[in-house]
Amino acid sequence: MPHKKGDPMDMQQTSRTQSPQIAATSETAEMALIMRLSGEAFGLPVPMVNEIIDPIQITRVPNASAFAPGLINVRGAVVPLLDLRHRLRMAPAAPGATARIVVVETTIKDTPTRLAFLADAVEEVIDVELGKLEPVPKLGAPWPDTYVLGVLRHTKGLVVLLNASTLFQPEPSPTANA
Amino acid sequence: MVDLSPAVTAYVQESRDILEGLEEALLDLEKRPDPETVDAVFRSLHTLKGGGAMFGFRLMAGFIHHFEDAFDRVRSGDLAISPKLINVVLKARDQMMAMLDCGGDGPETAALVTSAPLVALLTELDAALDNGVPLTPLVAPTRLWHISFRPAATALQNGMRPDRLIEELVALGQAVVTINAEDVPPLDSFDPSVSYLAWQVALTTAQPRSALEAVFIFADDADLDIHEVEGEASGSPQPDQREDKPTETVAAPPQKHDTAGDSVRVSSAKLDEILDQLGELVIAQARLRQISNSIDEPALEGLVEEVERLVTGLRDATLSVRMLPIEMVFGKFRRVVRDLSAELGKEIELETQGGDTEIDKNVLDRLSEPLVHMIRNSIDHGIELPQERSASGKPAKGRLRLSARQEAGEILISIEDDGKGLDAEAIRKKAVDRGLISTEDEISTAELHKLIFAPGFSTAATVSSVSGRGVGMDAVLTTVSALRGSVDVKSYPGQGTRVTLRLPLTLAIIDGLLVRVGAASYVIPLASVEECVEFDSIEHGRESGRTMLQIREHLVPFIDLIDAFDDLPGHEQRRRVVIVKAEGVRVGLVVDDILGQNQTVIKSLGPYHGGLEGFAGATILGNGSVALIADVGLLARRAWAAQEHLRNAA
Repeated sequence: MPHKKGDPMDMQQTSRTQSPQIAATSETAEMALIMRLSGEAFGLPVPMVNEIIDPIQITRVPNASAFAPGLINVRGAVVPLLDLRHRLRMAPAAPGATARIVVVETTIKDTPTRLAFLADAVEEVIDVELGKLEPVPKLGAPWPDTYVLGVLRHTKGLVVLLNASTLFQPEPSPTANA
Repeated sequence: MVDLSPAVTAYVQESRDILEGLEEALLDLEKRPDPETVDAVFRSLHTLKGGGAMFGFRLMAGFIHHFEDAFDRVRSGDLAISPKLINVVLKARDQMMAMLDCGGDGPETAALVTSAPLVALLTELDAALDNGVPLTPLVAPTRLWHISFRPAATALQNGMRPDRLIEELVALGQAVVTINAEDVPPLDSFDPSVSYLAWQVALTTAQPRSALEAVFIFADDADLDIHEVEGEASGSPQPDQREDKPTETVAAPPQKHDTAGDSVRVSSAKLDEILDQLGELVIAQARLRQISNSIDEPALEGLVEEVERLVTGLRDATLSVRMLPIEMVFGKFRRVVRDLSAELGKEIELETQGGDTEIDKNVLDRLSEPLVHMIRNSIDHGIELPQERSASGKPAKGRLRLSARQEAGEILISIEDDGKGLDAEAIRKKAVDRGLISTEDEISTAELHKLIFAPGFSTAATVSSVSGRGVGMDAVLTTVSALRGSVDVKSYPGQGTRVTLRLPLTLAIIDGLLVRVGAASYVIPLASVEECVEFDSIEHGRESGRTMLQIREHLVPFIDLIDAFDDLPGHEQRRRVVIVKAEGVRVGLVVDDILGQNQTVIKSLGPYHGGLEGFAGATILGNGSVALIADVGLLARRAWAAQEHLRNAA
């Protein structure tokens, strides 16, 4: 049975209680969930995150695209499991002991859609000031620009803030080849 | 629509039903004018008008009044039914629908009432009223009625005049009146203010029952019985309205109609909700069954079996609530056919069959539009003009047949015309023009016919208002595919075309056969499964690439699901073949193992997998894992295509 994972959710909880003050200080502040894929830290807007669950049985969908290779059961709902590594042009890797499934809700083709992806680890929730985002360095990053909002300096190093509105679209973004 | 109070909402809902019925009645009237139907039309208009005035649809009531008047004249034999009249009232009916949508008196309705089409309608009505049609009274069969009437003892004190009522009754036809005076007391105890008499009237008349009842409309305390002597078609006798004691009267029970009273109107959203919950229940029940199997406790097992039985019963009952006769959409098409054939100058007779076939409401709701497209196509492209038909030796009147039937968990709906059939050459030419095929392509006639479903395909040389925009058949296929159905065309030049839609009975829950392919489980809809046989492993290994299986005396093509689902071949010694029937053909699906049957709640595949071929959806199994549901129709098509390919290559 999937269950909510303790640490990240607790952190999310504490962060949420602080949010009114943050909202007061800056209009462009946002909270981001930090997770890791192949060692890199990525951030996603917290409001879209539904839940974080332990890895469960994945049903392979024959002949499906490499971006959406499977389906999982999230509390009685059939939810597609996406491979973000594939979309971000990172080498495939098997999930390790700290791997978690992140369930998010976003709008796909005008329909609110729940979907999930595997992360190597889910670490914490941080406050992000969108004004302080830096552009992604042109060289040295495999991921297409279109899926990334920018890079953020954080105590633990660089965090890549993902662009949720392009990242989860069923079809790869036409500019992703650039 | 505007936000309305519950009472008004109920009125609008009821009025819609009445307007549906009104359309039916008008179309009936056009075919066969009989007084019962005239009466029904009048009553409908009357009810609409009365309710309209009450619930804030006064403008609409005013509009309806003109038509009610017209039908009052028809009823009294003052006006004959003419096609013109039917036409104008049908159009007015559509306007009434539009006024209902406005949600009551307001600027919107006011604009509608004063709009040009509406004013034109009233002028048209006037023309229909004074068109100088000789007043041919409706010829209706006369019937013999027996009426027994005993006024309440107190009736005279209330000012009732039984003699007048009997006179009125006698005026309706030829009557033999008998008076029963046996209750009249001796003179000393006679009270002149008490009614003692009873009447028996044998009346021969063409008037409907309602006319007879109307005579006694104010005599509600009376003991009244009206029944037809021969034939029982006009319904059972009215419930007796009697009094217990001469001095004490009992209120007459309200007259009951067969249809009202014992049915409840429920919003379909509520039904959907119940079905969703039921879906969850089915999944939970499957989990329970699995746990029980692993525990092996007889007491629990008995209970699980009982729960299973109850859930199945509940499922069937819930699904049956959602099932509606397909007649409900067939009915609408009479009007479509009538209007279209008039517009195009064609004579067409619509024939329907199997209207009582039941189909899930959700399927039904989405079906109406594609069916209209297909009917339009048949009328516009299929059926020829009367002179053309006569020239080719056909009856001038074209025939359009709509039929529905149930076959192995599917609903088959076909639309058949006796028109000129599909022009294979025109289709080929068009397809080449559109780049759908190349000139060198060798394409069978059947495949050419299928091209009419290609997006943007239309062979009509000119675009008419009816069809020919090339969106019709494409839209049909899209809708039908979305409903997990398929379309099939058969056409013979000069003889006609038949398009058959195959649709699943229900969209939500099916019985499934759970099979294992590689490491994964898949569900095959049980309704399409014919049998399961052992797979002779030698069969597959043959060098010739033969993909036919000998099942008794038949050869059946097969597909290995390991290949179809792109899985790695295992080392199964004893594999099995599930023989399924889809789209009229038998196909074998080779699986590694058969795991059992289950009830399957179908969950649609989202935007990431929806376009994927081979799957009709997904479901959650008892162990909590997700299993895909095989799209048997598609696999069958694929198997036959592969078979054809092999044969052509040989």
